[in-house]
Amino acid sequence: MAAPIFLLAPPRSYTSLVNAMLGQHPQAFGLPEMCLFNVDRLVELWQGSKTQFSENGSMVRHGLLRAVAEIYGGEQRSSTVNMAFSWASRREALSSGEVFREIVDKLHPLVAVDKSPSYTMSVRRMQAAHRAFPDARFVHLVRHPVGQCKSLMVINDGAFALKMEAFELGEDYALLEPQIAWHDININILNFLDEVPAERKMCVRGEEIMAEPRRHLAQIARWAGLRDDEQAVDEMMHPERSPFACFGPINALFGNDPNFLAGPTFRPHKPKVPRLREPVPWRTDGKGLYPEVIAMAREFGYE
Amino acid sequence: MSEPGSASPPAGAPAVAAPGQRKRLSPSPEDPQTGRPDPAGLSPHQRALREAMVDAFNAKKARRFLERNVGHINVNREMSEGIKFLFDEKGLAPENMPLEDVIEERRRVEYQIKWFEAVLAELRNRLIRVKEIEDYAFEMLAKASDDD
Repeated sequence: MAAPIFLLAPPRSYTSLVNAMLGQHPQAFGLPEMCLFNVDRLVELWQGSKTQFSENGSMVRHGLLRAVAEIYGGEQRSSTVNMAFSWASRREALSSGEVFREIVDKLHPLVAVDKSPSYTMSVRRMQAAHRAFPDARFVHLVRHPVGQCKSLMVINDGAFALKMEAFELGEDYALLEPQIAWHDININILNFLDEVPAERKMCVRGEEIMAEPRRHLAQIARWAGLRDDEQAVDEMMHPERSPFACFGPINALFGNDPNFLAGPTFRPHKPKVPRLREPVPWRTDGKGLYPEVIAMAREFGYE
Repeated sequence: MSEPGSASPPAGAPAVAAPGQRKRLSPSPEDPQTGRPDPAGLSPHQRALREAMVDAFNAKKARRFLERNVGHINVNREMSEGIKFLFDEKGLAPENMPLEDVIEERRRVEYQIKWFEAVLAELRNRLIRVKEIEDYAFEMLAKASDDD
């Protein structure tokens, strides 16, 4: 079995694009958001969780259903998604790791590439992925806190920050503060990666991949033991060719960021990187990033 | 531009700490069961502030949802104008037609529109791919004619 690659990053950190790019490598297969390690057993992906701001809605299953439809059914149609429901129901008692391993086995010799930002909400979820695949490789994808937080606040008014309990609490006020989510997700990832041997983890700045995709994609491919020739890099420049780079059938429409599904074509560009010591646009009091956030951003190479 | 003051985090810790022990900033302590922040560990005062914030967030979300749906209803009204001919010459449902049938017909048309939009998105995506192939083919042809 070829050990998979997991992309670890907060949401809105170019994960969809980078996942689809790596997945287009001739020796790899980019999966949609599987979200399998959000739960211990497959059936729990259907049972959901009653907790407030739970991410276990029906959309959380779309990635798995689309992947099974594509891999086992050869195409994504309502009928193959129905087959995927049956496939899943026969495996409902299995652990997430067993189900994921079966899919990765089926893809062999291709290397599965998964990015499910929900794994990074808890160290336990990433540990579960690592337990299932002790040889897996982990790419920590980082994005500038201001860019990521701005983008996060546009999606569902920043609901993800709520899920991360990203509040600033004062004497008489509480404020939704996305930089806490940026910080805490990255803390989760760093805490988890402390357990991973150095040769099986790497950290990449998303902005650099956007600006110089060929160089960085080749670098990631080399690190992952994949070909890094021109032809392989050419393939990776076309994320829109991924079978998951479009909306799915009516019974499993998503499985990825809807913005990516609506426009998956990649155009190299140099993202604007704001300075760390400026007022942040989502606050009305003119304040900027927390010192802890600035320190961590510097740790990631942002100035 | 003058340098802004840094916001004050609710709890703080340096980013560099012992392996696996870096501290988070969320005021809600971690639930050992799920490994996720749990607001149950906040003090009553903090919980009240948090609840007020969540209520305001939900109210804003509901307001936005309503705004979007009012727009949707208006669009649906326009659509119903366009399909009046389906019913009778006066644009009304036939006499004695049960209201349920009218609603069913409206839902069916809405459903078909959704499908049509999904197909349109798919076709646009395919068009991008086909255009790339076409461009590549023209490029190859141009190269071939240069070689000749």
